[in-house]
Amino acid sequence: MKKLLQYNLAETVEKDLGNPEIPNSILSYQRVIEIDESEQFPHEEVAWLYNQKYQHYYIPENCGGKFTSFEDFVAFVRVLTRRDLTTGIAFTTMFWSFLTWMAGNDEQKRILSHYMREENGAMCLGYSEKEHGADLVGGDLTATKVEGGYLLNGEKWPINRATISGVAYILAKTNSEGGARCLSLFMVEKSKIDGNNYYNLPKILTHGIRASDMSGIGFKDCFVPDSMLIGKEGEGLEIALKGFQITRTLCSGFSHGTADTALRTTLKFAINRRLYDKNVFDLPQPRKVLSDAFLDLLICDCETISSARGFHVVPEQFSVWSAVVKYFVTVQLERMVNDISAVLGARYYFREEHDFGIFQKILRDNAIVSVFDGSTVVNLHALILQFRQLTKYRGKRNEQILNSIEDRLQTIFSLDQTLPTFAPEKLALFGRGADDVLQGLEIALHKLEELKNNSEINPEVLNHVINLGNMVLTELNEHDQLIAKSSFEYGHNQSPEMFEIAKKYCTLHTATSCLFMWLYNRQNLGDFFAQGEWLVLALHRLLRTFKPLPYTISELYESNLTQEMVKLYQDEKMFSIVPFQLAKINP
Amino acid sequence: MTVTQSNSQLETVQNWLINKLAEQLSLESETINIIEPLTRYGLDSIDAVTMVGDLEDWLDLELPSTLFWDYPTIEKSSQYLAENFDLSGAINGDKTDSKPAAKTPEPVAAGKEKTGLFGRLMGR
Repeated sequence: MKKLLQYNLAETVEKDLGNPEIPNSILSYQRVIEIDESEQFPHEEVAWLYNQKYQHYYIPENCGGKFTSFEDFVAFVRVLTRRDLTTGIAFTTMFWSFLTWMAGNDEQKRILSHYMREENGAMCLGYSEKEHGADLVGGDLTATKVEGGYLLNGEKWPINRATISGVAYILAKTNSEGGARCLSLFMVEKSKIDGNNYYNLPKILTHGIRASDMSGIGFKDCFVPDSMLIGKEGEGLEIALKGFQITRTLCSGFSHGTADTALRTTLKFAINRRLYDKNVFDLPQPRKVLSDAFLDLLICDCETISSARGFHVVPEQFSVWSAVVKYFVTVQLERMVNDISAVLGARYYFREEHDFGIFQKILRDNAIVSVFDGSTVVNLHALILQFRQLTKYRGKRNEQILNSIEDRLQTIFSLDQTLPTFAPEKLALFGRGADDVLQGLEIALHKLEELKNNSEINPEVLNHVINLGNMVLTELNEHDQLIAKSSFEYGHNQSPEMFEIAKKYCTLHTATSCLFMWLYNRQNLGDFFAQGEWLVLALHRLLRTFKPLPYTISELYESNLTQEMVKLYQDEKMFSIVPFQLAKINP
Repeated sequence: MTVTQSNSQLETVQNWLINKLAEQLSLESETINIIEPLTRYGLDSIDAVTMVGDLEDWLDLELPSTLFWDYPTIEKSSQYLAENFDLSGAINGDKTDSKPAAKTPEPVAAGKEKTGLFGRLMGR
């Protein structure tokens, strides 16, 4: 297996934090359960992360930080959230700084970079309002122009870290006539405004991530200087929507971290628990449930890692890609955690005992990831609105377009290739129907045919992959024909059926990501990955959600999949296509 | 270009927008007033971006995706288009048919060329 340098950061942070099963490690299971029970913000733990200077990884190199790629970043987030989603999210509200890296001026970037690096600064995102939810244009918080700045009036709620943060990104109405240009975005530095003119709203009690500072912020004739306006007046919605493309994609990292621990703790239980004179893990049903969970993580990895890399290559396509990854990965891994809860029996429900009751906490914490930063419905709706363009674009492909798709896919999926620097100015509100992954599917199928002469590959595996790959193509063609024929309406009255069609599109997208991940990394990710049995199982699992296929495609492949899972568990490595080293119990 | 041609292009764009809006928001085209903000008819900010895509397809031009955010009425947006883009290639001056010349997607296997990547992939 090649050493992929982009995972060095995650491995280092693992070592720093120590194994979470050891009670006195930072963010140990015992400690994070205590934090959750206390419902008090984890000040000490967050301060520890700052003291390690991890905030530098949220700041691009050209702004004075150490952020290099979203692939490194996602792996880093996984390491944090496999221990505690509350702390992981509390620290990662810093990813909102991308609003400034993307749309701020040099002085704003300098101020923010300094604030994060030197003052352990954190920020919150004030978009939603109690009465208006996701309807940002409908918001009531106003910014009225006065000499030298604006007066803010109104409240933002519910906002994570609204109270415990020094910077609040506030979306405010600067034009009372409404419309998409009525909003402006402010980077409000609380230290520079009058404390008498703003206030915090009380902590909201939540089902999961209970120790979060989930609260709100209100302004009363609060003066903010012109220098706090990000971009130009009226650009607020545009910046907000582009910013969401970044953060929605990165949310998948939260899900991967929590799902890893859910599987790890459940597997530990199953391997050690004896019932009916057998280990639970030796019973076929729980064994299969756990292997499927592992497979889900590998499947989601293909979507998550490729999208993190894709940002650097095709930022202009993220009106589609961010919606796919935010819907698919968060929901699939939420379902996976639910599925394996049955293996733990009653223990899944205990707030103590097995691993200090970490599982029930994950179950509760994880449930928010598919909701915040654009819910499942919001993401599927965004896709629905782009379907006609996607279908038209796919129908228009020619030699030149396919060649450039192939070039880009190679950079995106080859994990050993260096990525270009992220260019946030290339993010676009809509991608004009381009979606390299699905529009490159035939390239993948062609490459598979070419592999028929490759003696390194088991022909049976390859045959399965080709057959399943062709099924994906058939489904995609049917999708396009359906979209071409169907009548389309704007607005929020989309039919429930369209939402199901959108879910299927995401599934096909993920299946194709799995294909490309294998095709471009057979030399990079070790024997288990290269053999491709997991890919057969992955495609089969994805297609079975809407096609009648036999329950089992190969018992041998499943058995090998299970063995790999156990091996990673014993070696204390991440459940991932890039199984990097986790902190060991006995270092 | 003569003034008549230019006015005619403007009108064609306006008619196309009226019909598009009517069709996709289930409205009677007679009820649409070109000086009213599009949001008045239920077209929200994301729909407005989507409609730019439709317009791009019809005109075969690349347009700013925030076109209808910055020019939020049919009158203003068509005026902007007429002033800033050469529409003559896309619109026949006397063309009154407001139905978009949509490029109906062919099934992907439609490629007939047998050479190059496209031919190899699509001619399978």
